[in-house]
This record gives sequence, structure tokens and C-alpha cells, in this order.
Amino acid sequence: MDHAQFRLVIPSQTRYLNLVTGLAKRAALVAGMDDATAAKVSIAVDEAVTNVILHAYHGEGEHSVELEVRFTEVALEIHILHTGQGIRQDQVVLPDPKEYIKHPRKGGLGLLLMSRFMDEVSFKEDGGSGRNECCLIKKIG
Amino acid sequence: MADLSIEVQEVDGVAVLLPAGFINAHTVRDFEEAMEALVKGGRYTILLNCRDLSYISSAGLGAIMGLIETVREHGGDILLSNLQENVFAIFDTLGFTQLYRVFGDQGEALAAAAPERKG
Repeated sequence: MDHAQFRLVIPSQTRYLNLVTGLAKRAALVAGMDDATAAKVSIAVDEAVTNVILHAYHGEGEHSVELEVRFTEVALEIHILHTGQGIRQDQVVLPDPKEYIKHPRKGGLGLLLMSRFMDEVSFKEDGGSGRNECCLIKKIG
Repeated sequence: MADLSIEVQEVDGVAVLLPAGFINAHTVRDFEEAMEALVKGGRYTILLNCRDLSYISSAGLGAIMGLIETVREHGGDILLSNLQENVFAIFDTLGFTQLYRVFGDQGEALAAAAPERKG
């Protein structure tokens, strides 16, 4: 069976976040997830795209963020691709929620939300092509 | 329709902030400014009534986190009420329901805020 997929390319501007999260939520529903799970997928995608816009592209709005949504038999995969500053898997450090609550501060929660709401979160940095990727996977059922 | 609109009410001596729509990296500055204006005006007990809040990302959580110490140092607090299921899930997943007092409705929150108002 062929796996369906589609792509959306947006400018690297936060004004398009609502569009992207709406799409992610609808994609999760189409994949067969319930409303609560679809909402979590949309939050994870918001965080991932926000990270690309604010950190990989340092808030510069003239770049592109590409979302590739893949429907497989077992999961929904959302790949977020960009040419900004990449991050390697070994550079990812998740904050400890208990420590965070003891010492409240701004920032640092996006990656934690992504990891809690998705089944798999991975990062790839391709130094050769300059194309970097964040991959979010939510299993169906 | 705007992604976020914010209404501020004064109820029984408590500043009640009602965000409607989405709080994300695009809208968070408006939310932050509304909260900061209350604190600068000496309003240290703030109730966030989230009945019309569809969604909050970590940007919004960071804005709340950024003010919690200030209001508590002044004897106040930030309370939450009327959280929709997905908004509650975000707070609860991160353990924030231990950090903030969460109420089912505005009336319960206002009753709990009474001691702070007297102080």
C-alpha cells in the first residue's frame, strides 16, 4: 500500500503558526486519532516550528520552513525541514520538570512538550546539504 | 478573527484576565503585556479565566512563569480557572498543576483568592 504524504512550505514567520497547527490537528484526525491526541500533535508541531523560526533562523522571516506530513499504516509522521542552524540529537537536553518547577524561568519547555506529546522526536543535521530536520512521530492506536 | 483577544475585568477586587483564542509565539507578546500591565499597576492577584482559550504553547507558559515569582513576593498569586481539556493537559503534563492553583470555575477561584485580597 502506498503511503500518502503531502508538503506545505511556509515563510519563517510566527503569523503562520496557527495555519500549521490547524493542519497538524486535521492530519491527526484524518489518521484516526481522537481530539485530545490530535490537540497534542498540534502543540508538538507548534513547538517544533517555533524553534525553527526563532532559533534555527534567529527570527528572520525571509526563509522557508517545509512540513512534510506522511500517513503510514502505523503512524503519522511530520517532518519539519529547514536550512537554518541545525541541532544534532546529542545536543538535545530535556529539562527536568521537577527542577523547573522549583526554579521557574522562561523558556526550555518546548522540547519537553514535544517529547511528552509525541512517541518519537528526532533531529538530523545534514552539514553537506545544509538541510536540517526535526521528525515527529505519533503512533496510531 | 484575531488569533488572540484579551479582556480584563475587575471582579471582587481580583484582576480577571480572559484570553480568547490562541497563545503561541506569535501572540504571546500581547498576553505578556496584558499581564505585565496588571503587575505594574500593583495587581498581584491575577485570575486567568481560560474558558475561551483554545490553545497555549510553551511561549505562553513562559510568560506566566516569568511573573509568578514577582506576584508571590508581593503576597499575590496567579490562579487558573475554566481550563479546556487540551490546555489542562499541557499544564498537567509538565507538572504545572503543582505550581499553580487550578479551579473548575471562576467562582471557586475568586473564593480561594479572598485571603490574598485582604492581604
